[in-house]
Amino acid sequence: MSLGPKFVALAAALFVLAACELGGGTGYLELKTVPGSVRSPALYIDADKIDAKSGTTVLRQPVGTARLQSEGSDGKVVLLCQVVVKKNRITTVTISSLERPPRCQCERTGNDSKACIG
Amino acid sequence: MARQHNACAAARWRSWLATSVISASLAATMTLASAETRATTGATADAEFSQQLGELKKSFTDVGRTIDESAKSIDAIQNPEQGRKSIEELRNQVSTLLNAVADNGEISKLGAKALSLADEKLKSLDREARFKPEEKQYLVNRWRELRSATEAAIKDLDSARKDFSELLRSLQTSEDYIDELMQIREHERALQVIHQLSEGIRDASVKLKKLLGTIQPPGV
Repeated sequence: MSLGPKFVALAAALFVLAACELGGGTGYLELKTVPGSVRSPALYIDADKIDAKSGTTVLRQPVGTARLQSEGSDGKVVLLCQVVVKKNRITTVTISSLERPPRCQCERTGNDSKACIG
Repeated sequence: MARQHNACAAARWRSWLATSVISASLAATMTLASAETRATTGATADAEFSQQLGELKKSFTDVGRTIDESAKSIDAIQNPEQGRKSIEELRNQVSTLLNAVADNGEISKLGAKALSLADEKLKSLDREARFKPEEKQYLVNRWRELRSATEAAIKDLDSARKDFSELLRSLQTSEDYIDELMQIREHERALQVIHQLSEGIRDASVKLKKLLGTIQPPGV
């Protein structure tokens, strides 16, 4: 059995990975929904719907600024906040479901910058 | 943008597995390649979940070894700048672990799929009229066992996610604190913080080993 195609596939995968790394790599977004007993509204990061659990959800995200949005009772998607994701770091955002619309509570990160904007 | 992200995430997952295996041996690389082929040829969700969990255990063993070495080397560090670099490398390792068990990662998705498959199977067996009662009962029992094993594996992944998130947060907070200390030229105190970290890292390594011992691919 020839190893050729496997090596080509592997090289291609590593090439794509290198391209992704050049684009900034991966960080993590920890979403905490409070109170845990209340079902959180449908949440979106940019255009992707999140399968958020009640309590804590940890998502891998490309480095950069992500738009955290929620779906209102009228079905419209509204921006909650923009979250800053840094390479190999975890950014925690707490979403209070008791408020209408839900609100982001952001942690502070280094150099006086906030984890989220808005 | 979302499609590019998904492509990058998928590539990262495959490449992460691949790089771990390369470092182990060429034979293991071939195993991974054939596993990926199997994954794309329509294996059932629970079989894929079990297979990915098996691969995960292998890769975590390699990362665990690196973390152990980091804990040893951090003890001997005499320069805060070197310490900061070590923490950054460690964050990279922990990030690899967290990447594998993230809620939107491949394994978590497969776990959810496997669980839903078991539920569907149990429902359909309930309506099944082709088999003798004892045959039907046998199938129901096996699917129940598989469901319980899948649930247990998902629970282990949840707990791993929690541990790795906490470790990553602890590393980044320590790194930030060291950075602050260095800005005010408190190098001695920065070194103390670096050395204290080794205890936390050893603790994480113990937790990782425990996890490796606990995770049991369903149906194996």
